[in-house]
Amino acid sequence: MKHPLTHNYRLLGFYIFFWAAIGVINIILQVLWYNVPLVYSLLDTGTNYVLFPLLGSSIWYSIRYNSVEEVSVPRLIIFHLIAASILCGIWVYISYAIYQPFIRDNNTFLKDGLPSKIFAGYIMYAIYLIFFYAVNYYQSLKEKIKKESEYKALIREAELQALKSQINPHFLFNSLNSISSLTVSNPEKAQEMVINLSTFMRYSLMHNEKEMVSFTRELENIKLYLSIEKVRFGKKLNAEFEIDAHCLEAEIPNMILQPLFENAIKYGVYETTDQVTIKTICKCEGNLLKINIVNDYDASTIKRRGEGIGLRNIRKRMEIIYNNPDLMKVIDHKTSFEVQLIIPQKQAVS
Amino acid sequence: MSEKLQTLIIEDEELARNLLRSYLKDHPDIEVIGECENGFDGVKAINEKKPDLVFLDIQMPKITGFEMIELLDFKPQIIFTTAYDQYALKAFELNAVDYLLKPFSKDRLLAAIEKVKHRILNEEDNSEKLEELSNFRPGEEFIDRVVVKDRHKIHIITVDQIRYIESLDDYVMIYTNDGRHMKQKTMKYFETNLDPKNFIRIHRSYIVHVDHIAEIQQYEKESYIVILKDKDKTKLKVSKTGYKKIKEVLHF
Repeated sequence: MKHPLTHNYRLLGFYIFFWAAIGVINIILQVLWYNVPLVYSLLDTGTNYVLFPLLGSSIWYSIRYNSVEEVSVPRLIIFHLIAASILCGIWVYISYAIYQPFIRDNNTFLKDGLPSKIFAGYIMYAIYLIFFYAVNYYQSLKEKIKKESEYKALIREAELQALKSQINPHFLFNSLNSISSLTVSNPEKAQEMVINLSTFMRYSLMHNEKEMVSFTRELENIKLYLSIEKVRFGKKLNAEFEIDAHCLEAEIPNMILQPLFENAIKYGVYETTDQVTIKTICKCEGNLLKINIVNDYDASTIKRRGEGIGLRNIRKRMEIIYNNPDLMKVIDHKTSFEVQLIIPQKQAVS
Repeated sequence: MSEKLQTLIIEDEELARNLLRSYLKDHPDIEVIGECENGFDGVKAINEKKPDLVFLDIQMPKITGFEMIELLDFKPQIIFTTAYDQYALKAFELNAVDYLLKPFSKDRLLAAIEKVKHRILNEEDNSEKLEELSNFRPGEEFIDRVVVKDRHKIHIITVDQIRYIESLDDYVMIYTNDGRHMKQKTMKYFETNLDPKNFIRIHRSYIVHVDHIAEIQQYEKESYIVILKDKDKTKLKVSKTGYKKIKEVLHF
């Protein structure tokens, strides 16, 4: 960590002002109250409140590399006693070197003043020590808070990344198999499906970069996805959309709908031999976009296990993005299954 | 080979069926005798037509390809087809049964047919392998349904419909709210594949669904019986270890 006085100018300013003020008060008191000669007072003030603060700023390093947590208390005490002695020695030596030219004739000032000067040095050392420990503590606390919020942001990012839906390999290989079949029977349709699949894949890869997209785009992508699946399932899959036109401008997390339709196909279309309708209803109310996706399912063949991993991931993703755990509702009507997403908008969509 | 292999295609997707048919169309040793769109029809067709070879999709509506095998009286040679199922792949590797990964080439398909022909010529019996395969279930921790066949009808029993299971030598009898169904599986299979939070092996001969237990009675020193909630108040014997398990699950 850097020296707080050289890197924090406010603290440096405060440090200089504090000792300057103390020094001035000292001179005023000594000269006006105790009638000390001005020269003596200046010398005293200079060494105590200018020289010591200069030397004392180095105490920072003694605490910086001897943290209370890492070094045992006895060692710490011994270390600081030695450091204090060295600092006081230097300080007193320089002080007296400065005194010499001015006070050659007055022995009492120098001799009698020595013990109290040394004592004052130790006391000041202790005060500086406390001051720097406080500064150090405050600085590391601030740094910790900063790092913590950085970590939190990183974790959020990582979580969101993990929750984003990946294209199901099952879907991909089955689609490729359909294409393989179409190349024999209907090459034109095969080509169309290759293009649809590519467009869909491109969109789903794009969502690694962008978090929010317009509802129109997301909806286009869903229709593309359904058109690919429709090639596989034929008339077994029937999709209906009921969408308020003014909802189309709304913003929505990228690829948040696809897993819901995948789920509807997996439990609805895949498990039955009859036609299954997936109905999508979108409404805007104030600054909420409400999307309901309903699909029939055959209750006699599957025991629904509530939320699978797909739905859980959507719920978590919504919770992280919007900071609200109640934006996804799952309702099992026994013969149909309904998922509702509520997507908050920055401003009311009208 | 003097006669053509009587072949059945069981596959729910039309395009996938078309592809298989076009691949097999002019194969000298294959005669496609039928196509089925789902597992129910598949079981019926296999038991009636007794084909030599079946192309079987795994993921299908109603019942899966694996579940179908459990219901077969007659076990033909099977070539599985699947798009992507890591657990199924694992199962195949363990059992060395033929499988084709969608999309597959004609050459790959022909190679699989050659393997089957070789097996038929050497009169290898693969019914045991198929049996093993149908027990293999590493994908989910516990089963959530059981498929059974009574005479000509296939039933899908979701596990919460099961009241209890009784052992009958090589078979088990599964008692549900609307009747009972026989199945060729071991008690061990059900003990390991049913969620132990809901099903307890209370005795060598019984596995009971906890929700259907009405009472536990002591009828001798250190021996107990379970009374079920049905109108007959069915009584089932409880072994010593069975009693311990009940206590653990029901916390008393």
